[in-house]
Amino acid sequence: MEVEVDEKDLKSAGAELLKDGRRGLRIHGWEIESRKRSILNSSALQQWEQNLHTSHFPEMIFGDSCLVLKHLRSGTKIHFNAFDALAGWKREGLPPVEVPAAAKWKFRSKPFQQVILDYDYTFTTPYCGSETVELDSDKDGSGVISGGSSGLHWEDCKEQIDMAALTLRDPILFYDEVVLYEDELADNGVSLLTVKVRVMPSSWFLLLRFWLRVDGVLMRLRDTRMHCVFDESANPVILRERCWREGTFQALSAKGYPTDSASYSDPSVISQRLPVIMHQTQKLIIPGNL
Amino acid sequence: MSDLDRQIEQLKKCEPLKESEVKALCLKAMEILVEESNVQRVDAPVTICGDIHGQFYDMKELFKVGGDCPKTNYLFLGDFVDRGFYSVETFLLLLALKVRYPDRITLIRGNHESRQITQVYGFYDECLRKYGSVNVWRYCTEIFDYLSLSALIENKIFSVHGGLSPAISTLDQIRTIDRKQEVPHDGAMCDLLWSDPEDIVDGWGLSPRGAGFLFGGSVVTSFNHTNNIDYICRAHQLVMEGYKWMFNNQIVTVWSAPNYCYRCGNVAAILELDENLNKQFRVFDAAPQESRGTPAKKPAPDYFL
Repeated sequence: MEVEVDEKDLKSAGAELLKDGRRGLRIHGWEIESRKRSILNSSALQQWEQNLHTSHFPEMIFGDSCLVLKHLRSGTKIHFNAFDALAGWKREGLPPVEVPAAAKWKFRSKPFQQVILDYDYTFTTPYCGSETVELDSDKDGSGVISGGSSGLHWEDCKEQIDMAALTLRDPILFYDEVVLYEDELADNGVSLLTVKVRVMPSSWFLLLRFWLRVDGVLMRLRDTRMHCVFDESANPVILRERCWREGTFQALSAKGYPTDSASYSDPSVISQRLPVIMHQTQKLIIPGNL
Repeated sequence: MSDLDRQIEQLKKCEPLKESEVKALCLKAMEILVEESNVQRVDAPVTICGDIHGQFYDMKELFKVGGDCPKTNYLFLGDFVDRGFYSVETFLLLLALKVRYPDRITLIRGNHESRQITQVYGFYDECLRKYGSVNVWRYCTEIFDYLSLSALIENKIFSVHGGLSPAISTLDQIRTIDRKQEVPHDGAMCDLLWSDPEDIVDGWGLSPRGAGFLFGGSVVTSFNHTNNIDYICRAHQLVMEGYKWMFNNQIVTVWSAPNYCYRCGNVAAILELDENLNKQFRVFDAAPQESRGTPAKKPAPDYFL
């Protein structure tokens, strides 16, 4: 997903690419890095089973992939990873969604000794990113303060992300998309958590998207957008908008929309068809001194 | 060189056949497949392969590792199509080999060899894109209905795409299924192509989706004992290491699509059995980027909102 970047654009924006094979850049006091790795192997998965107290996982977990945006002076780190997202899935614990074939299966003769599994196999997560404060003086990591006690606080706000500004074709200095986890729902649809980022000379913008389609039943789209405009103030502000949409194939059909799964392969194209069920705007003022 | 040999050479270069050639090839394949049993007998030595999913250049890696057909005798456990970029060329090459060397390659049906599934997961769109009509998709899906449901190697190793069914306890019960139809949504034929082994159940489990069986160790023990087989070899589930044993080596999953969906980074495996049924797993990586037909395009920066 790496894109050729114009050296001149980088230079005039005061940005420099990360070295030593790392993907990302430093710009206006931020270090933005994406890491894309293979899916977890069996032994790593066993470790996750213990740590998350579950044996149910998406088929493809890119457990070592992440996107990290670090404000260097304050040590504030906004990051995105599959582990925290799955911890969120576990906490939310939605009831399972039955596929259309389930109706027929109710009439099948039940085998002796049948266990009905009832976890949320869609891996729906309320995850909207992780934040920590890392003090650079502690290279061994002992200076890491985890999310809850990091002193970082997202507060509800009226300001909204300036979408008009984001439609301008400013040069993109860095772009990447990182898949965090994915499941094919045993060919009953798709469950996909990805995060995309683009860094322009004047701001960074990202979209964390959970996309679920259970064929013939429902779709869920849970988007988290973050935008941070670069300025030289002591306390940069990150705006965060969360928007959850959800709709059943039945409701779409009632509105005259098609109901074949192939029409719903790209969530960006069809998102407007799904009603909004939650919308929230918050901001994080990055503390100057800790 | 016969037409068929020429077609095989062409397909090996990842060049699809003409629509009329596909039609003729499918007719010949049908004559062969219709004679096969639902539990097709296979002799050792044989090399067993799991899901391919249209990853043509990775299948060429598989043949490099396993040897060419007909020199090597192959058993493919289904899911030839969908997800990858070259389902048409992948399936047609396997089918052409089947017609050319019917006794040296066995193809059984996976859950993706279905009209309904291929319309969602890529094969249908690929046929439409490459031929401008859905005729090739129609010919191929008609052939899918003729593919056998399972194989039995030297009476000792039972091979199937998905797994077991609570409606099946003996191989003879599989033999009585009328398989020449679209994969049904329930019943024995559906289970054979769809079900999964699961550690956390001992007997039978029902998926939280409300459809789809999971089977535990005691189910496998009892099936293997009843049918006097050593173990079950199946595919259907992605395994990072290419293969995975479960339930004290009573069942093994073999996965043959390396770097699945071109991004998972997993290795793939095939299982080689010699004439005495000694096992050797051959693990392989995805084809190097430069050996693929089309170079990886660097996507333009995406002004997503």
